[in-house]
Amino acid sequence: MWSVWWQRIGNFLSNPLLRKELRQRMRSLRTVLAVSLYLIVIGAVAFTFMYVNVQGQTLLLQPTRTAELFTFLSYLQLALISFVTPGIASGVISGERERQTLPVLLTTPLSPWSVIFTKWMTSISFLVLLILMTFPLYSIVFLFGGVVPSQVLAVFGLQFMTLGAIASISIFWSTIVQRTGWSTVLSYATVAAVFIGGSVVGYLFDTIAAHSPDQTIWVDLGTVAYTINPIYMQASLEASLGFITPAFHNSIVASVFTTVQLHNLMSAPSWLIYATIYILGSFLLLVICAWRLRPGTFTITQKRLLRWLLR
Amino acid sequence: MIVTENLCKRFNRVEAVKDLNLNVRSGTVFGFVGENGAGKTTTLSILATLMLPTSGRAYVAGAEVTTDAALVRKLIGYMPDQFGVYDDLTVKEYLAFYGTAYGVSHGDIEKRTKELLAMVNLSDKVDFYVNTLSKGMQQRLGLARSLMHDPPVLILDEPASGLDPRSRIEMREIIKSLRERQKTVLISSHILPELAEMCDEIGVIQGGALVACAGVEVVNARVQGQRQLQVEVLSGGVQLAHYLASRQHISDVISFDDEHVEVLFSGSQEDQVELIHELAVAGYSLKSVHEVGASLEELFLRLTRESDEGQPVSKMA
Repeated sequence: MWSVWWQRIGNFLSNPLLRKELRQRMRSLRTVLAVSLYLIVIGAVAFTFMYVNVQGQTLLLQPTRTAELFTFLSYLQLALISFVTPGIASGVISGERERQTLPVLLTTPLSPWSVIFTKWMTSISFLVLLILMTFPLYSIVFLFGGVVPSQVLAVFGLQFMTLGAIASISIFWSTIVQRTGWSTVLSYATVAAVFIGGSVVGYLFDTIAAHSPDQTIWVDLGTVAYTINPIYMQASLEASLGFITPAFHNSIVASVFTTVQLHNLMSAPSWLIYATIYILGSFLLLVICAWRLRPGTFTITQKRLLRWLLR
Repeated sequence: MIVTENLCKRFNRVEAVKDLNLNVRSGTVFGFVGENGAGKTTTLSILATLMLPTSGRAYVAGAEVTTDAALVRKLIGYMPDQFGVYDDLTVKEYLAFYGTAYGVSHGDIEKRTKELLAMVNLSDKVDFYVNTLSKGMQQRLGLARSLMHDPPVLILDEPASGLDPRSRIEMREIIKSLRERQKTVLISSHILPELAEMCDEIGVIQGGALVACAGVEVVNARVQGQRQLQVEVLSGGVQLAHYLASRQHISDVISFDDEHVEVLFSGSQEDQVELIHELAVAGYSLKSVHEVGASLEELFLRLTRESDEGQPVSKMA
C-alpha cells in the first residue's frame, strides 16, 4: 500500500506543471526580495518586542511575555496570509486566460483537476515557504520558554488550513471570472466577509440574544458565525494552549477571548465545524474549478453515466 | 483523418457552425478559408477539444472529439490564432514543459528540441527567455511546441496572423515542410492565396457552413486569370448583361442595372480589347470598361459553386 502512495507522490512531484510553476515563481528576483523583506520585518518586530519588554536585560524575560510575543507573531502571520494569498492565487487561471496560454494548456493531456490542484499547490507554496522561514524566529521564543514546539505546530496547522481555504476561494474566483482584476476584488471581498463580516454577524447575534427571551438559537447562530472566522479560532487555540495573559486584557483582545469562552469555541464541535468547512469547502471549490476549466466535462460525465446505467 | 458530420455549434441565438461536413484525408494539408467570424476558429476549437459541439460529430484519426477527448489531445498538435508564452522560461524549458506534459521521455525531449528548433530556425535561441523573442519567433516556437510530441495531426489556426511579410514567408515554408513529414494539417486563414501556396485542398467556410471545397490545383486553375470587369453604359444595361452572358471569356455575370454590368472575365488583355470592339459594333453606348477589385475568395467561391451545380450561378443563357 505504501509503495502505491509513494508512486503517486512521485508522479505528482514529477508533474511538469508543478515544476514549471515552482521554477517560474521561485527564480524571480521578486520572490527573493519578498522573502528577505518579510524576514527583516518579522525579525525587527520580534526583537523590538523583546527589547521593550526586557529593557535590554534578556535574563529578565518572563515566559508569559514570550507567550505574548508568540501570540502577536502568529496574528501577524494570519494577517499576512489573509492579505497576500488572494494577491497570489487570484490570478492563476484568469492570468493564464489573459496571457492566452490557457487554450494550449488545456489541449495537453494534463487533466483539469491536475491543473487546478497544481495551481493551488504552487500558489500556497510561496506562503508556506514564508511561514517555514520564520521557524528560526520562533526558536527565540523557545529559548526563553513559555511555548513548546507542539503548540507552535498546532497554530501553524490552523494557519495552513486557513491558507489553503483562502487559496481555494481565490482560485475559484480566478476560474469563474474572466479578468484577474475582478477575481482579486472578489477574493479580497470574500476574505473580508469571513474575517470582518463573520465578526459583525456574530456580534449582531450576540446582541439579539441578549435581548431575546429564547437565547439558545441566537447564541448557536453566533457560535457558527465565530467558528468560521480564523481570528476567533486562532484565539480559541491560543486560549486552549493557555496563552491568555493579563496583558491581553485590553478592549479588543479581551473581547475576542471573552467571545471564545462565551461560545465555547475551544470545544471539539467548533473545531469539527471549522475543519469540515475549511477542508471540505476547499476541496469542493477546487472540484468546481476543475469542472469549470474544461467546458463540457459535466455533460460528458453525464453522458457516460447515462450510458453506463443503460448498459 | 479529420471528419466532421453535420457539426453544429450555437452560441445563444448565433449559429457559429452549421451542419459542417468535412473530410480531411490522411497526409494532406487542408486549408480552411473564410472571413473573420465565418466559423473557422469555432470549428478548430471543437476539433481541439476546447469546445463541445451543440450537435453533430467530429473525429480525429477515428477518435470522437467529445467522448475520446483524452485520446484526441494526444493525437493533435494545436496552435491557436492568438497565444501567449510563459515569462521566465527559456526556449528549451518551454519545449521541455510541453514535452513532459505529453509524456515524452527526457532523452527524446532533448533530441526533439534540437530537431524542431533547427526546423523553425531557432537553434541559436535555445537559452533565450521566450518572452524576449519577437512575435514571428514566438509563432515559430509555437509551431515547434505543437510538434513536440510528434502528433499525426496538426490544427493550426491562422498561424501567420500578425506577422510581417518575411515572417509569413518563413512560416509558410515551415508548414510546407510538414507535408514531407507525413502530417495531416488543418490550417485556417482568411487569405486564400497564402493557403493556395501550401495546401493540397481548400475549403471555404461562410456563415458557419462549408460552401466550397476543392483541390488546390482546381483553385489555382480557376482563380488564376479571372478578373472582375465593370462595363459602364449610358443606358441598356439589362440587354448588355444578356449579351455579355453569351460571349466568349465571360464566365459569369455578377450584377447589372441600367447603367452598369459586372462580369467575370477570363480572357487576356487582347481579348478584352476585342470584347470592347464587339460591344461598340453591337451598338452599345459604352462609357468605360474597367477592372474592379474582388477577393480571390469571392472568385473561388463563385467559380466553385458554378462547378458544383454544373452551371454558372448567375450566368444567363
